[in-house]
Amino acid sequence: MNEILKMKVKELKTKICSDEIKSEDAVKACFEHIRKAEPKVKAFLKLNEDHSLKQAEEVDNKLKSGAKCGLLEGVPIGIKDNIMVKGESMTSASKYLENYVSPYDATVIEKLKDAGAIFVGRTNMDEFAMGGSTETSAYQKTANPWDIERIPGGSSGGSAAAVASGMVPFALGSDTGGSIRQPAGFCGIVGYKPSYGLISRYGACALASSFDQIGTFAKDVTDAALLTSVIAGKDYRDPVCEPNEWIDYTNDIDNPDILKTLKIGVPKQLFDYKIDSEIAKYFNDAVNKIKLEGAEVVEIDVPAYKYVPALYKVIMCAEVSANIATFDGIRYGYRSPNGINLNDEYAKSRAESLGYEVKKRILFGTYVLGAKNYHRCYHQAQKVRTLLINQIIDAYKKCDFIFSPATLQMPVKFGEILPEECDIFLIAANLAGLPGITVPCSFTSTGMPMGVHFMGARFSDAKLFKVARSFEKISGFDTSKYPVL
Amino acid sequence: MSKYETVVGLEVHMQINTKSKVFCECSTQFGAEPNANTCVVCTSQPGAIPILNKKAVEAIVKTGLALGFTINKQCTFARKQYFYPDVPKNYQITQSEPPLCSKGKLTINVDGKEKLINITRIHLEEDAGKLVHEIGSRKLDYSLLDLNRASVGLMELVTEPELSSPQEALSFLTELKNIVEYLCTSECNMEEGKMRCDVNVSIRPVGQKGLGTRVEIKNMNSISGVRDAIAYEVERQTEVLESGGKLIQETRLWEAEEGITKSMRTKEGALDYRYFPEPDLVPFDLPDSFIEDLRKQLPELPKVKKKRFINDYGLSEYDADYLTSTRMIADYYEETLEALQDKKAAAKPVANWISTELNAKLNASKIDISESPVSSKNLAKLVSLILSGAISGKIAKTVFEEMYEKSLDPETIVKEKGLAQISDESAIMKICDEAIAESPKAVAEFKAGKERAIGAIVGLVMKKSKGQANPQIVNKILLEKLKA
Repeated sequence: MNEILKMKVKELKTKICSDEIKSEDAVKACFEHIRKAEPKVKAFLKLNEDHSLKQAEEVDNKLKSGAKCGLLEGVPIGIKDNIMVKGESMTSASKYLENYVSPYDATVIEKLKDAGAIFVGRTNMDEFAMGGSTETSAYQKTANPWDIERIPGGSSGGSAAAVASGMVPFALGSDTGGSIRQPAGFCGIVGYKPSYGLISRYGACALASSFDQIGTFAKDVTDAALLTSVIAGKDYRDPVCEPNEWIDYTNDIDNPDILKTLKIGVPKQLFDYKIDSEIAKYFNDAVNKIKLEGAEVVEIDVPAYKYVPALYKVIMCAEVSANIATFDGIRYGYRSPNGINLNDEYAKSRAESLGYEVKKRILFGTYVLGAKNYHRCYHQAQKVRTLLINQIIDAYKKCDFIFSPATLQMPVKFGEILPEECDIFLIAANLAGLPGITVPCSFTSTGMPMGVHFMGARFSDAKLFKVARSFEKISGFDTSKYPVL
Repeated sequence: MSKYETVVGLEVHMQINTKSKVFCECSTQFGAEPNANTCVVCTSQPGAIPILNKKAVEAIVKTGLALGFTINKQCTFARKQYFYPDVPKNYQITQSEPPLCSKGKLTINVDGKEKLINITRIHLEEDAGKLVHEIGSRKLDYSLLDLNRASVGLMELVTEPELSSPQEALSFLTELKNIVEYLCTSECNMEEGKMRCDVNVSIRPVGQKGLGTRVEIKNMNSISGVRDAIAYEVERQTEVLESGGKLIQETRLWEAEEGITKSMRTKEGALDYRYFPEPDLVPFDLPDSFIEDLRKQLPELPKVKKKRFINDYGLSEYDADYLTSTRMIADYYEETLEALQDKKAAAKPVANWISTELNAKLNASKIDISESPVSSKNLAKLVSLILSGAISGKIAKTVFEEMYEKSLDPETIVKEKGLAQISDESAIMKICDEAIAESPKAVAEFKAGKERAIGAIVGLVMKKSKGQANPQIVNKILLEKLKA
C-alpha cells in the first residue's frame, strides 16, 4: 500500500499544497489500491478515475500558478451515493434511480468543491439508506474488509469499507439511525454524525427527514473533524440547519486534559441486553482507561432506551412513506412500460423498481399514518420520543457524554440478521438530534475491530471530537493498521 | 315557501400575491412558458428541501387580521398525502392544527339585510401544478405536466355552514374578494384560477336542527357560477327528497355549460390523506411584533372607506358604494380629488364622471380602471375646466370622448378644437340678438306669458355658438333682452 494513502489528511493536503506530493499522485495511489482491493470489497458503485485525474491535474497546475490552497486541496474523497453531485449519476443504490443524473450540487458538495476535494467515486449503500448491512443495495454487496464473508454494516457500508481498506482517506455518509456510526464500528474506523441541524441536508436524498444528517468517515478523529469543519455550517436552503458560526473542529483537538474535567455516563440499560462477550470485555477495559485518564464515570438511567427500536421504526417508516412517494415514475426515474392507467403505472413502476426492504417500510409507514392508526402508532411514538429526549436531557445533568459500545454484536455473515437492539445506543442520538461518534477500540480474537460510541448534548460537537480524540490516544487501537486484501 | 332550508359552507382557495412561490424561489408569474418557473424543489428532485416564504405568511396574517381572526402564533405545517401527477412530492404541504388564523367573520348584505358569517379558519398551503390533456382542440392520448403553478402559495379559507342561499354565497365571495383585493394579498381572479371555491351544500326540513346530507361541489370558475351551482344543487336535492329518494354524501362537479352538477366520487371513495407534521419545516412562533407590524400596515377597508366618503365628501350611499366597490376605483377617485383645488366642490362631479361616463367606457372596452386611458390626473383637469366655467358640461362630454380615445389631456383637446366656453358677454349678446331676430314666433309666445318658449331661443344661441356659449350667461342676457 502506497505511503501516501497512510498519511493523515492534513499532512497530505499540506504536502500537496507545498508541492511535495502531487495531487495526481495521491489520486493515482487511490486508484492503484482500489484496483487491488475493490474486487474483494466492492465498496464503490461508480468510480471516476479519468475525471478525478483531470481534477488532480488542474489542482496541481493551479497550485503551480500560486493559487490559494483550499482546506482539502487535491485530497481524494468517497461520496455516498445518496448525495447530489451536479451532472453525476445518483442512484441511492436503487434501481428506481438507475439513470438519474443530479441537476444540482448538495450544499456539502459545494463546500467540498470549494475546499478542493477530489471525488473519487460513489460508495455503495443500502437502497435509499434503508438497512444496516448494505445488502439491500440493488447493485452489489459490499464486504467488510477485515473479513470479506461478513457485512460492513450499513447503510453507509460502502463509505466505511472504502476508508477502512485504505482506498480513500475519508468519505461522506449519511446517518438516519446509526448508518455512519454502526458501519464505522464494524469496519474499525471513525464515524461521526453531527447534531441535527449542524450540517445542511440540502442535496442528500431524504430517508427520514427528522433524523437524517450527513456525516463523516475517517481513519482517525482528527481527519473526521477536519472534514466536518469543511462541510458544516448554516444553509438557508435547509430550514432545520442552525445558523451557527463556522468552527474549526480540529482546533485544540489534542487537548490532553479534557477527560480529567468530564463525567462520562454509562447507561444502566446497557446491561439489559445480550452483548457479545468480547465487546463487553473491551468496552469494560475502555471504561477503565477513561477512569485512569481522570474522567469520572457515572451510571445513568434512561429507561426509555427500551422503546428505541419501536419508536424509531414507527417514525422513520412514517417519514419514509411520504419521502419515497415522490418516486412515482412520472417526472424521472424508472417508469414501468406495463402500466394500463395512472394508478397501475404508479403501482408497477414502484413494484418493479423498489426493493423488498423499501416496500416493507413504505407499507408500514403508510399503516401507522392511516386515520385509524395515527394516534395509537405515530402520535404515540412521538410522545415516547419526547419522553426519551427528556430522560436523556436529565441524564446530561449527571454527565457530559454518554458512553457505550458502538454495537452490541459483531458484524454477521452475509444473509444473517443482527438483533434489532444491536445499535439502539446509536439510534438514540438520531431520535434526540444529538451528536455521536464511533471510535475504534480494539481488535477482537478473530482479528475484527470493535468500536465505542460517545454521544454528546446538542451542539457539543466540538467537545465531542476532543473527547473522542482523547480516547483514541489511550485506546491502544492501531489506526495505521489496514486489512490485508 | 319551500319546506326545506339551505345550508351552505364555502372553502375558498386564493393564490397568495407574492413574487416567489411559497416553498422555493421560483417566480409566480402567470402565463409563463410551461415549466419555466420550476426548480429542484418544486419539481421534487431527490434531496430538495422546502423553504418557507415569509411574505406568504405575512399575506395570510394580514388577511386574517382584516377579517377579525385570532392569529395563532405557532406556525406549523403538515403533509397531506395523495398520489397525483400534479403534486410532484405526492404530498401537499399544508397546515392542519393549528391554522395560522382561527375564528374570523365577515358581514354580508343581501336585499338590504346584513348578516354575520363566521369563518372557521385560514391556513397556508401550496398549490398543485397543472395537467394538460389537449393542445388547442386536439385531444392528446397522453398528458403533459406543467409545474409552473406547483408550490405557489395558497390561502385556504373555510366558512362555517352559515350561508343559507345562493345569493348569500355570492355576496360573501364578492365581499371577500373586495377585501382581499384591498389588502393586495391575492389577485382573486377566478378566471385565471387565482381564486377557487368549493361549496358544501345540504338541505333540511325547516326547523330541523341537525344538518342534512352534505354534497361537495367543485369546478366553478366564476362567482356567479358558484351561485348557479348552489341554486341547481338545492333544486336537485329537493327533488330527490320530494320524490322519496335519499341523498348520498358525495363530491359533484359543476358543468357550467350544461348548468348542472355531476357526481364525481362518493364518500366511500374518500381518501385517507395520512396527515402528519412536516419534518422539513420546523415549527416556529410568530413574534408579537411581526403581527403588530402587519396590523399597522392594514389599509383602510371598504366599509370604513365608504363611511368616510359619505362623511368627508358628502357623497350619496349609492355613489360611495360604487366608488369603494374595488380598491382600484376608490384609489382612482381619491387620486383624482387629490389633484383638484376645491375638493368639496369637485367631490360629487368627480364621483359622477367615474360612475357614469368612465364606467360605461371601461365596461365597453372590458378593462380595469387601473388601465384607464383617462388618467386620474386628466380627469381632474377636465372637472377643473368644468368647475371654472372654461367648458360646459356638454362640451366636456365631447372632450372626454377624445380623452378616452386618444389618452390626451383635456386642455390640449379644448385648445386644438377651440372648444373653450364663451363667457364674454358682448360676444354672447351679439349671438342673442341674432337668435331673437330669427325667432319671432318664440319671442311672441314668451311675451304672451309662455316662459318656456325661451328654451327654443337658448337652443338656437347654443347651436350658433357650437355649444360654447356659457348657458347661464345666455339665459341671463336673453331674459334681460326679452323682458326689456
